[in-house]
Amino acid sequence: MAIKPTPPQSSTSPHPLTFPAHTFAKLAPKTYLNTHLNSAHGPVRPSGRSPTQTRTPTCHTGSLTHAHGSAVVRCGDTAVVCGVRGEILGAEDVPDYKAKTAEEIEEDDEHEMKYADTWERKLRKQKESSEEMARLGLLVPNLELATGCSPTHLPGGPPSTLAQTLSQRILTLLHTSNLLDMKDLRIWSRWPRSGSSSGSHVEEISQQDEPAQDSVKAFWVLYIDILFISLDGNPFDAAWLAVLDALKNTRLPSAWWDRDREMVLCSDVPREAQQLTVYGMPVPLSFGVFESDEEARGKRWVLADMDGFEEGLCRETVTVVVGEGEKVVRIEKEGGVGVGGKDVRGLVELAGQRRTEWLEVSGKEAS
Amino acid sequence: MTSITLSTIHRADGSATFTGNGYAVIATVNGPIDVQRRDELPEEAAIDVTVRPAGGVGGVRERHLESIVQKTLRHVVLVSAHPRTLIQVTLQIVASQEDHLNYGSLPQTSPYIPILPALLQASILALLSASIPLLMTLTSTLIAVKESGGLAPCPSAQDLRAATSIHALAFSSYGDLLVVESEGHFTSEKWEEVCTRAWSICHGEEEEESGSDDVSMGSQGGARLENVLRDAVRQKVVNEDKWKQSPLITAT
Repeated sequence: MAIKPTPPQSSTSPHPLTFPAHTFAKLAPKTYLNTHLNSAHGPVRPSGRSPTQTRTPTCHTGSLTHAHGSAVVRCGDTAVVCGVRGEILGAEDVPDYKAKTAEEIEEDDEHEMKYADTWERKLRKQKESSEEMARLGLLVPNLELATGCSPTHLPGGPPSTLAQTLSQRILTLLHTSNLLDMKDLRIWSRWPRSGSSSGSHVEEISQQDEPAQDSVKAFWVLYIDILFISLDGNPFDAAWLAVLDALKNTRLPSAWWDRDREMVLCSDVPREAQQLTVYGMPVPLSFGVFESDEEARGKRWVLADMDGFEEGLCRETVTVVVGEGEKVVRIEKEGGVGVGGKDVRGLVELAGQRRTEWLEVSGKEAS
Repeated sequence: MTSITLSTIHRADGSATFTGNGYAVIATVNGPIDVQRRDELPEEAAIDVTVRPAGGVGGVRERHLESIVQKTLRHVVLVSAHPRTLIQVTLQIVASQEDHLNYGSLPQTSPYIPILPALLQASILALLSASIPLLMTLTSTLIAVKESGGLAPCPSAQDLRAATSIHALAFSSYGDLLVVESEGHFTSEKWEEVCTRAWSICHGEEEEESGSDDVSMGSQGGARLENVLRDAVRQKVVNEDKWKQSPLITAT
């Protein structure tokens, strides 16, 4: 620490301009951060981290029993709960819905199998899947900041600009990263189940002779609710990691359209529940750019995974999302000129390291 | 292809219409004006951005666009020149390609990146028209990466649907990278290629040294964006100064 309270020389005349470090941080936050970054032992942030060091995330899945999938993610003092709940949307309730028959979808899948050799074709297929999800509105994220998570977000008010911005970013990333597969969200019509519950569905399907009449009767709509328990900087990364883990944890009950009763029925057998396929596992890393003197174009520091204190001082932010195979899924940068075109590659590399770290943490929790 | 009209709305302090690439945006600027106590900043001017969609009322998507434009303008406008005031920027989208993108009933799921360059350009022109002191101006462009790997500057709705990634980039008048919004699937090499290309579209001083397929597209782009902006403003100044050249005035 560069600033330390000095003990008063004598009890009668204490030095008038001596503060403890946390008072100094409140009075002159910019100078405080600047002094830390300019310290003789190399740049160090008030939290003790180096500029590119991130806070190690921790996660816990399946703690909400009433949701189909849930996760709690914590990065430093930022903690987020995400719950995923599936609701059924009937195909007849969708305006202008042109039902695809089983044959058509099968044909598509065969086509995919045949041409899935190249990355581009696979991508195109996944993109079509995401577009259908977007058209039907099957993914509904909602983000709540007004939970008393930080003094700047008062509970009870309308969603703040930050909350709206974050939920839009999450919605966009859900669709553009081709995270989920449409085939997990379709509910098919089937023949009524034969009395005993011993036979599995696979057998039942093979028993019936009219597969051509099979059609999509309903969809699963995933309501993804994100609640901030506490907010200390970098809300987007924490929220997205929670969404990712909750979706991976989601098990939707096996559902089918019953032709006799003309309604969707769900199986209550837990082992028949289907896990969602999550592709790519894109992981974000956000950066802030701290400028010691804006007007004079002074020295700049790129700080990874900012905490709340640093966020108040950095106007320029960069978010890089890296997916499978070192492919970049998203880059967002706004608010300044500190990071140029040449610096982006380095940030992408750091985000790649963050992804490896997250996969380790998330894998440990799953096992 | 791009058309710019300055001071289209005479009641506002400054206004501009920007049309290009299937998008049209009218921007108005009022300021510096009085600020509500709640929004007042002691050391600088507050910037308030409102985005109104072509149809209906704005939603979450518009709020996000507003926040991107606001953060950018906060860096571009010399905010310290007018402390404790408000600079109000209103952006009305008049035409957009989204109608052709067929994303169904949910406006927030349609991509917001394609409209961003038009919003940024319109707002900077309106700020110029309102004579608000600026640190720099900006130019912004949209580039789509085709499935073949080629770049498509100023992509159409079809190009956008077929693209593997789309990128909106903005550069300051000093040539620094100001805004990036990229989505899709791409490598850092591809992104750097896109960035170089966008830079040469916005600032044409340097001849680009990239591959063969870029040459035809470059010539199609025509004048550099920065020059287009400069010409529009120059034309406006010339028109306003016409009375000085009047023979009646020179005679007296």
